[in-house]
Amino acid sequence: MHEMSIALEVCRIAEARLARDKLDRLVGVGVVVGDEAGIEPANLQFCLDVLLTHPPFHGATAKIARCTGDTLRVDYLELDE
Amino acid sequence: MTVRVIDVRERVMARNDEIAATVRQRLETEGVLALNLVSSPGAGKTTLLERTLDALGGEMAIAVVTGDVQTQNDADRIARHTPSLVQAVVTGGACHLDASQVDRALEAIDLTRTDLLFIENVGNLVCPAAWDLGERAKVVLFSVTEGEDKPLKYPRMFREARYAVMTKIDLLPHLSFDLARAIRAMRDVNPELELFTTSGTTGQGMESWLAFLRREVAGASTARGALRG
Repeated sequence: MHEMSIALEVCRIAEARLARDKLDRLVGVGVVVGDEAGIEPANLQFCLDVLLTHPPFHGATAKIARCTGDTLRVDYLELDE
Repeated sequence: MTVRVIDVRERVMARNDEIAATVRQRLETEGVLALNLVSSPGAGKTTLLERTLDALGGEMAIAVVTGDVQTQNDADRIARHTPSLVQAVVTGGACHLDASQVDRALEAIDLTRTDLLFIENVGNLVCPAAWDLGERAKVVLFSVTEGEDKPLKYPRMFREARYAVMTKIDLLPHLSFDLARAIRAMRDVNPELELFTTSGTTGQGMESWLAFLRREVAGASTARGALRG
């Protein structure tokens, strides 16, 4: 139910990392979602797909991986070299 | 296209949890016992608060932060039962309170004159389980008009909570609700849950709840003395 606020935080983390390391051309964001995280992965995917169409993300793709437990983390960023 | 992968491994809740830790530190330093009341909508959080304020308002200073998706109806109801501050947070659609909202709400509350802080979360058994607000403990309310298997359906909430309050037990004679089965379901999910059974209508069971609050507030106050040297 709070997937959009989670998606916004995922984007904030990604943007902060891009700025910190002076990176650009983001093409993918890897997110890990546990089965007890209280998140519906399909809803989160939808929210991230919408947000990632906007700058500075250049249409990057969200890649959600599932695991057990309440894990909820931004796992990695993919950059076009 | 050559793709380079950068490890991030950052918890999405990390920022919320940092703010929650700051809130918790402030509350502990001031010796304020903070309890986060969570439940499904209509389980009786506001009624429990009204009865608690009526009973304890004369012996300790109680502040309340209420969260609702829309309206400040609950805050208005509670305000009629206490001269202390009731701070309403209208989430505008969000299904839970987060630590930054509580942090901002506390700016309006004089913690040095507060013994007990209740945070009445948005009625929802899913999302509030994931958000640390800086409270001492979550208290999950479970009314006898719900299904006995609620704890099995929403295990994370019952696992995150340290205390459970069964509410509306005056209605038991009129329902087919199996109280023993409900308690078993809670114990299966969280054997450590400390349980209270209450009725806001008849007052049944309220004494145990109130005695618990008196005891915990006294403990928090003692800790304040120790923290302040």
